[in-house]
Amino acid sequence: MLEIQGLTKFFGGLAALSEVDVSVRPGEILGLIGPNGAGKTTFFNLVSGVLRPTKGRVIFAGNDITAKKTHHIARKGIVRTFQGDNIYPDFTVLQNIILSCHLKPNVGLFETVFHTPGNRRKEKEILHRSLSILKLVGLDAMADVMARNLAHGHKRILGIAIALAAEPKLLLLDEPLSGMNAEEVSETMALIHRLWQSRISILLIEHNMRAAMSLCQRIVVLNFGKKIAEGSPDEIKGNSEVIQAYLGAGEYAA
Amino acid sequence: MINVVLASSLRLINLSGQMSLAHGGMMTIGAYTSTLLVMKLGLSSWAALPLAGLAAAFVASLVGFPFVRLKGIYFSIVTIFFSEMVVLTAQQWQGLTGGSTGIFNIPRPNPIDIPRILTIAFSSKGDFYYLALVLMLISLLILYAVENSRIGLTFQGIQQTDSLAESVGINTIGYKVLAFSIGSFFAGITGGFYSHYISAISPDAFSFLFTIYILVYMTVGGEKRFIGPILGAVVLTLLPEFLRPLKAFVPFFFAAVLIAVIFFMPEGMAGLPERTKRGIEKLLKRKTIPPTPTLPLKGGGRGRRRPEPP
Repeated sequence: MLEIQGLTKFFGGLAALSEVDVSVRPGEILGLIGPNGAGKTTFFNLVSGVLRPTKGRVIFAGNDITAKKTHHIARKGIVRTFQGDNIYPDFTVLQNIILSCHLKPNVGLFETVFHTPGNRRKEKEILHRSLSILKLVGLDAMADVMARNLAHGHKRILGIAIALAAEPKLLLLDEPLSGMNAEEVSETMALIHRLWQSRISILLIEHNMRAAMSLCQRIVVLNFGKKIAEGSPDEIKGNSEVIQAYLGAGEYAA
Repeated sequence: MINVVLASSLRLINLSGQMSLAHGGMMTIGAYTSTLLVMKLGLSSWAALPLAGLAAAFVASLVGFPFVRLKGIYFSIVTIFFSEMVVLTAQQWQGLTGGSTGIFNIPRPNPIDIPRILTIAFSSKGDFYYLALVLMLISLLILYAVENSRIGLTFQGIQQTDSLAESVGINTIGYKVLAFSIGSFFAGITGGFYSHYISAISPDAFSFLFTIYILVYMTVGGEKRFIGPILGAVVLTLLPEFLRPLKAFVPFFFAAVLIAVIFFMPEGMAGLPERTKRGIEKLLKRKTIPPTPTLPLKGGGRGRRRPEPP
């Protein structure tokens, strides 16, 4: 589904990512883990078109989308979430979603200004879809709350809901569980599982190991911009290089 | 009234998170376009006026693509330079624009003559007043419709978090250029109207200070609400009339009003009713709710009971 070949990014002389190959299969949750500064978020920025890679290719569903603009990539079906800046704070929760239902149906410039009947029908459809997305993520009771007033966990979930509004085929989740309490973590994990069941492929960056191990079918480990391991959660748990990367090597290391 | 259109259209650009200071330049473009179309090509002024707006919008969309890639203050700075560039071009291109002396004796708009119902000859200031009124109402109607459409919502979303808007497939650059062009369209029309009204145009008619005044109208009125720039333009256009004897001090006066508004009414005049309402509610609450009983605790905070955790 998503094929990434030899992805490399230099910031000045520093290689943030070097020669990373990753492939996401249709309908799987692929985990991307690694210590801080390993290049995980850079990886997302390259795939979603926020940054241009120095080298390498990104191929999605047979199309080369390397260094395309973010909104083009979103149109193709790859939508990402952000760690920060992930909501529109001065809109209500519902407005957040309505705005993000941008791609379908396609609302023309003139029909929205002149408020034609066709436009009214489309807006109705958008409203309907927005409400069902809110129901899916469990924020339907808070539709009219100002987004800035949400609790942290709800803000993160709203961030995922915004991405869903763009109807992704592949969803890139950047640490969706960070800063959540235990209850919110289990709710969000259940949500990610539901999304996977509805046939959305997911690429997941996560620091919460237990969550990553239980959600993902396969995991890729990055360290200092290089891929050091790839495999099922059990293989990763037993990989000595991964343990070294996380705990450091030394005479006491196993 | 012209100022109302200017301030409101500037607000539309602002809605997408870009502070344009090119309104003066766009007015100059509109003024020259309309004047030259009428005087050199013999076009009716009614056709020239919308074309003046389109010319400004077209220029805005051309320069917009490189400009809107800059964010915040940097965008504002290039728009100032753009405005100055327009003025310089008008001064240097003597064959077309008459150089720095400008163009005089611009014809008045063609008279409207609907038999037995209405005849407006545009010979008096009063006739222009009605034209300005109609122009303002149409402009405000369009601006209001744009703001309350999906486009307006998208502009505001881009203003709040543009990277997020981009990530769900919104062409943020395109929308920013669109906002810039629509706002400039109205500046162009206004410039065209102005030149026919004054019947003369010179390159420095709409100076940088003039653009700043529009900005002040918008800020003083309150940029968060649609009514804000309208209110600000009306009040600040009428007030200086009372200061006629002190005309040289008008910029001082504007500066004083602006500072006072920023300090005491951060949401502008349009935000005043809501703020007073909130203030009164606060006062009432303080009176009606008795102070919470203090707990007999030693050094227990400020004597306020903590809310129970849910």
